[in-house]
Amino acid sequence: MSANPSSAPSSLVPALEIRGLLKDFSAGLHGLKLRAVDHLNLSVAPGQIFGLLGPNGSGKSTTIKLLLGLLEPTAGSCAIFGVPSGRVEARREVGYLPEAPYFYRHLSGRELVRFYARMCGMGGAPLEARLDEVLALVGLSAAAERRVGTYSKGMLQRIGLAQALVHDPRLLILDEPTAGVDPVGTAAITALILQLKARGKTVLITSHLLGQIEDICDRVAILDRGKLILEGAVVELIGRTDQQALVVETLPESELAELRAWLAARGRKLEAVETPRNRLDRIFLDRVGRNDA
Amino acid sequence: MNAVPFSFWRALLIAQNTLREAARQKLFLFFLLLALALVVGARWLRDFSFGAPELKFLADCGFGAMAFFGAALAITATAQLFFSEIENRTALTLLAKPVWRAEFILGKFLGLAAVTAIFCAMLTLLLMAVLRWREGELMREFPETFASGGAVSYAMVALGGLLQWLKLAVLVALALLVASFAQTQLFTVVTGFFILVICHLQYLAQDAYARAGSWFAQNIGGALAAVFPNFQLFALADSLNAADAPPALHVVRVVLYAAGYIVAAGALAVYCFRKREI
Repeated sequence: MSANPSSAPSSLVPALEIRGLLKDFSAGLHGLKLRAVDHLNLSVAPGQIFGLLGPNGSGKSTTIKLLLGLLEPTAGSCAIFGVPSGRVEARREVGYLPEAPYFYRHLSGRELVRFYARMCGMGGAPLEARLDEVLALVGLSAAAERRVGTYSKGMLQRIGLAQALVHDPRLLILDEPTAGVDPVGTAAITALILQLKARGKTVLITSHLLGQIEDICDRVAILDRGKLILEGAVVELIGRTDQQALVVETLPESELAELRAWLAARGRKLEAVETPRNRLDRIFLDRVGRNDA
Repeated sequence: MNAVPFSFWRALLIAQNTLREAARQKLFLFFLLLALALVVGARWLRDFSFGAPELKFLADCGFGAMAFFGAALAITATAQLFFSEIENRTALTLLAKPVWRAEFILGKFLGLAAVTAIFCAMLTLLLMAVLRWREGELMREFPETFASGGAVSYAMVALGGLLQWLKLAVLVALALLVASFAQTQLFTVVTGFFILVICHLQYLAQDAYARAGSWFAQNIGGALAAVFPNFQLFALADSLNAADAPPALHVVRVVLYAAGYIVAAGALAVYCFRKREI
């Protein structure tokens, strides 16, 4: 962590830096402690989409709350763009979407996003223009005047994204952004996250949908019982360099035998013959492709 | 990165949202309607009057409704609107913005103080209207009794409403202090009502300790008086005549007394909420 964040070039300062983070919760009257985060070290470079994975209770949401200064660490530290998390100014560059968000039901979508924008110091004509922009970005322009209490789960996630994005933060922290959202909504949110990456934003995302994480993340970290058990670039973790797949039109058995023989003559082996399958989510999206989840 | 200064504007935004949420809840409407019904119905409750003049009885009913239902509203609304932010996790999203926790507490207090202000203002206006209407009737029925003019000072009624509101604002601050460290809404409500009773009866304890004569007992009484505000100070005199109005200095002292407790309770609430895990 930089002692003086302003002295380092912004491109060198990690978007997120976690050092030796430890969090214990009291779990009873007899001084029992429950360790939610166990000596965690992580660093996320600016402009990355970083996936934080792990089973339920692995410490993902606690880590996020510690990052946002909503919880006090038992030990260790975390910083956002070099600013210690406990400081209010660390949250100036952060947009946060909590897991299963619940918002003020009595406000309309536009009023809700306006409220959060004002909390971030925005106002006047630029705010109104930004509201239109961000509501369009999440596909809620048509429902902006409806009360949030009438929104579906997918719409709640999207209005949550709008409030996280409205002040144009450099870092987005999305805790299970597609939990409970149907495949159409999930695809829309995924596309939006990729769009944000293209705009240079850093995104920290947690999700149980590993396929989604695999598709969009540059790097991932896997937590289990609060400990970091694996971290690395997605391509390095899931890619295989010792094998290749060739996709051809279906071959008759005789030609397959010839191919095997040809490979054998060169000391190679045909490992598997498989029929490629369409992904079910792709078929679903092709048939039900709409944007009003 | 520049520091984020404390912003009264952000606290006002939170207050506005709190007020709006309270206004849409049935709880506020329920207490308001009950209190309004009591003020209007007092005209037909004269059988319960133990010899007090009718207009004084009407005023007592009105201020009684304001004190009783206002206290219930102040405690329950504070607990509900504070814990709804925690339990519904809207506080997560809010405090993840560049917002000081002190702004959150101040905003909650201002919003709830506005809720009780609206409650007291509506009841005071209605009470004035009922008194005015009944005073007119009585003046027509007994002109000789009212030969020297009306019996009600409406400035006194307004002052009574203001003092009731000040008392409720102190109660909101105390309930907010409890909520800032309490883990449940129920604990806040129950403790809030205990505090209300203690604040109403603390003068009795003070008298008892003072009569006890011992240095130890007197100091306990003094400590009790310092910790819990004396809600009896917010009551008007037994008359509605302008001649019996309390001196301006007394009113100023009561206002400063209330402000002192609000600031102290608010500061303690900020301290307790500062490290609270959301």
